[in-house]
Amino acid sequence: MANNFEEEIKKLVSDITEVPPEKLKPDADFFKDLGVDSLKAIEIVAAFEKKYRVIIPEKDIPNIRSIRQIIEYTKNLK
Amino acid sequence: MNWDKEKIKSILPHREPFLFIDEVIEIEGTERVVAVKNIKNNESFFEGHFPGRPVMPGVLIIEAMAQTSIILYSLSKPEIAKAHPNYYLGKVKAEFISPVYPGNKLIVETNSVKILDYAAIIDAIAKVNDKIVAKANLVFGIKPREIL
Repeated sequence: MANNFEEEIKKLVSDITEVPPEKLKPDADFFKDLGVDSLKAIEIVAAFEKKYRVIIPEKDIPNIRSIRQIIEYTKNLK
Repeated sequence: MNWDKEKIKSILPHREPFLFIDEVIEIEGTERVVAVKNIKNNESFFEGHFPGRPVMPGVLIIEAMAQTSIILYSLSKPEIAKAHPNYYLGKVKAEFISPVYPGNKLIVETNSVKILDYAAIIDAIAKVNDKIVAKANLVFGIKPREIL
């Protein structure tokens, strides 16, 4: 299940960043390593919220900078 | 309560001939705004697009959607909007279904997907006579106005 979730997140991030899923390392920094700008970041957040039916508060968004951090953040939501 | 052009101008930085909303006819909290643009027979863009075969350019339908989206943003973030920030369209995924002609009444419906202080994602559709003529997903950024 955990792996499936990681793969789902990779697919979601890949669709927006246009970086192939196999090249998305869990700790890659969205901004420094993947060329994500603030508008792509909000797209990732909106796609995540839609898929998992959650709301990510605006104050938390700057702290979510990698796939691993998304996964960790999601654990805290449950 | 409908917004007239003066109220619209108090929010939008756009002015004629690049103001593409005539009236706001529906507001549902911070989630949805519906606006109208009456496409006149003598719109300047028809002269060249195209001579003898006037069609509203798709980019201007997107512009009407973007301007309506700013109104929607201003309802979520009134304090930021009041300071008249700069709005930058960042990404658009659009589909054009039918042409828009002189005399058409273009209805632009916008729905909030995600609105933050510095950015917004809005879904929009444009209709003529209840028929959808275009759909788009718009991502735009907001920055405080720089003093020149």
